[in-house]
Amino acid sequence: MKTLTKAATTGLLFGVGGVYLALVGLLEMMQARPIVFGAVNLGQAVLALLALACGVVAARDAGPAFARAGAGLLGGLVAGALMALLQVIVATVPLQGMFIAASPALRNMLAFGFAPGPGALAMLLGGGIGGLAGAVLAVTLPSLRRAIVAGAAAVVIAGVFQELIQLMMQYEGIIGWIRDFVYTWQGLRPQGAVAIFVIAGGTSLVLSHRSSADHVPSPDERRRRRFISAGVALLVLVLMPLLAGAYIGEVLMLVGLYILMGMGLNLEVGLAGLLDLGFVAFFAVGAYTTALLTSGSSIGLLHLSYWEAMPIAVLISILGGVLFGLPVLGVRGDYLAVATLGLGEIVRIVVLSDFAAPLLGGPQGVLDIPKPSIGSFELGSPVKLFYLTLVCAGVAAFIAWRLENSRLGRAWEALRDDEDVAQALGVNLIRSKLLAYGLGAAFAGLGGSIFATMLGSVYPSSFQLLISINVLALIIVGGMGSLPGVVLGAIALIGLPELLREFGEYRYLFYGAALIVMMRWKPEGLWPSEVRSRELHAAAGEAEPVAAMEPG
Amino acid sequence: MALLELSDVQVFYDKIEALKGISLSVEAGRIATLVGANGAGKSTTLRAVSGLIHPRAGTIRYDGTTLAGRQPHEITAMGLVQVPEGRRIFGRLTVEENLAMGAFTRHDRRGIAEDRERLLQLFPRLRERLRQVAGTLSGGEQQMVATARALMARPSMLLMDEPSMGLAPMLVEQVFETIRTINADGVTILLVEQNALMALSIADHGYVLESGRIVLSGPGRDLLDDERVRHAYLG
Ligand SMILES: Nc1ncnc2c1ncn2[C@@H]1O[C@H](COP(=O)(O)OP(=O)(O)OP(=O)(O)O)[C@@H](O)[C@H]1O
Ligand SMILES: [Mg+2]
Repeated sequence: MKTLTKAATTGLLFGVGGVYLALVGLLEMMQARPIVFGAVNLGQAVLALLALACGVVAARDAGPAFARAGAGLLGGLVAGALMALLQVIVATVPLQGMFIAASPALRNMLAFGFAPGPGALAMLLGGGIGGLAGAVLAVTLPSLRRAIVAGAAAVVIAGVFQELIQLMMQYEGIIGWIRDFVYTWQGLRPQGAVAIFVIAGGTSLVLSHRSSADHVPSPDERRRRRFISAGVALLVLVLMPLLAGAYIGEVLMLVGLYILMGMGLNLEVGLAGLLDLGFVAFFAVGAYTTALLTSGSSIGLLHLSYWEAMPIAVLISILGGVLFGLPVLGVRGDYLAVATLGLGEIVRIVVLSDFAAPLLGGPQGVLDIPKPSIGSFELGSPVKLFYLTLVCAGVAAFIAWRLENSRLGRAWEALRDDEDVAQALGVNLIRSKLLAYGLGAAFAGLGGSIFATMLGSVYPSSFQLLISINVLALIIVGGMGSLPGVVLGAIALIGLPELLREFGEYRYLFYGAALIVMMRWKPEGLWPSEVRSRELHAAAGEAEPVAAMEPG
Repeated sequence: MALLELSDVQVFYDKIEALKGISLSVEAGRIATLVGANGAGKSTTLRAVSGLIHPRAGTIRYDGTTLAGRQPHEITAMGLVQVPEGRRIFGRLTVEENLAMGAFTRHDRRGIAEDRERLLQLFPRLRERLRQVAGTLSGGEQQMVATARALMARPSMLLMDEPSMGLAPMLVEQVFETIRTINADGVTILLVEQNALMALSIADHGYVLESGRIVLSGPGRDLLDDERVRHAYLG
């Protein structure tokens, strides 16, 4: 009985989630992205994924196999029923006055192209089958499950990012032949989808077979493997703009800037535990310093070259960070977050003000910022600037890594855990905190400096609070205090949404969902630092959080 | 000669006067104790000495120099180290890393390694648990970590705030035994305790604190026999 109630509740939850996605218009928008051309679109894939996930969750802890299958089926049916109900309501009641997304097109999609009656039946059945499949998937062999998931994920990626991938395959010969086999110009061919599924799934099977056959990998080995795969991924990222051109170059450039800022904020929040919501101020300082020093317009001060201005911008940012830190030295925890929020806004408002306008250009900003050049070679295009960002991020990462393992890094961690004790052990509170602000600001300032030359102009409106929040979100998702986590977080929260640009208006919905999901299932982040995962696991050893959340 | 000397120290928390002008001194190489009820101002005294709060009036002198206006880390660097109340260890770090943090101000690798070895002899239980995350240790073990961590700084004087709090009687005995051993190694100790019986019996000199004032002082043994002390603290 309890299992059934739980399965039904799960179905209800997933159903409500689906209804929500439909009514905010996301589902219909996703439907416009084909995965397999003419067969499966992203919207349907998301529905299927919801049904599967519903089945997995409903079947968890349901006991014997047949009970699990039943629970999965029930969950899927309930979720499907809700979606079917939505479809019928959209068909009969004019809802569009309230929900603009409740359009005939949405109804048509939810009914799989059938009339309302048969469509509802199809959705109900589809939900049930999906839920059942999810439950079955949850009890199959782990290696098989992994293979299926890997195959499906590969197909979705290949389909959703088809434009980008095709762009990278603009060659004659073997690559061209593969491209034509897999893709039409509009999307994946069915045969391509099958091939990708088989190859990705098969690879996963072979890999898991090889690793599980003789031994469980030791933590060290797992770490090494993770670093190797990260290295390969990084190499791909580095080479991608060369192959795929300006658009991906721009996206990766943005990712690079956020990585720079993420590394800076990571020193402050991740290591020193200083929750800073005014971080964008340092980004602004770096950008404006560069702008004022190099701009060819009348507001420009010295007309320096970019390379002369960049180090000065970083230095001024450090100074800014220290000045910023002074008034909040004695402020801790939640109060610090609010205080820094205020400081960040003050910077933006000062830049906007008439008072500073003669110097900073006010709302008109500073224009005519030159591009950097090496000799006579100008780094003019996004791709070239991306490589500049990459080099800077690499250097910054090295510095951040050295800092983390330095005496200063340990002082920060001690301060973060317990200020009084840290001081009792000889940590200089004032100096360590100011250094955290100053060095954190240096990274953001460098990012700002590149940002200025990238756009060729700076405006106060570019330095919104939202940037601080984005940076904070990416280090939380990546894993507090972890350098690889910053990279992963930036790719996941900045790069992905940028690639799926048509979903731009739903970006923060995606953020919110990603944050909630992370906090619920992987609070330590995508690539946690060692200390942090240790902390969370020690805590989980005492009380199983999942069990505690279950409805009684 | 007095290593630590407080004269007429007054501390306020906003408008609350927590210390109403206290004077005490601790001789080098000795154990002194400050006993008193909850809220008497014992922790406040130690926090004032460590530089975590600043007295409104009065002077604190350590080894002949005044501590006024010094930052906590400077005071630590002078060899005056506090083991705070409630064993505030770094719960996310391992025992080993906690000990390493204790040696934060030191650069002599050799000496650090030697001291670590010496401390692991003093606390054999910690040796078995070097790799354990300190937050998962038992209360008694955490107290050991807190004490060992402070000793890693190679202090000349240790300020201990209620090291026996919340421990079983047998462990309490052990804690006081350890304090004696540390003192025998040449570390001067100012011990704050609610367990007046134990504290006074190992202390060379004792002070009784009541609502921010020192109401009694004398050699530990004498205080133990004192009628008023027996009545108020020993039941
Ligand atoms: N941060 C603070 N702000 C305001 N008042 C405080 C603060 N810390 C302590 N006090 C007050 O100062 C007085 C002395 O506190 P203190 O912590 O020194 O007592 P204690 O003798 O160490 O007590 P216990 O044995 O319970 O630890 C108490 O009345 C307490 O309420
Ligand atoms: Mg106390």
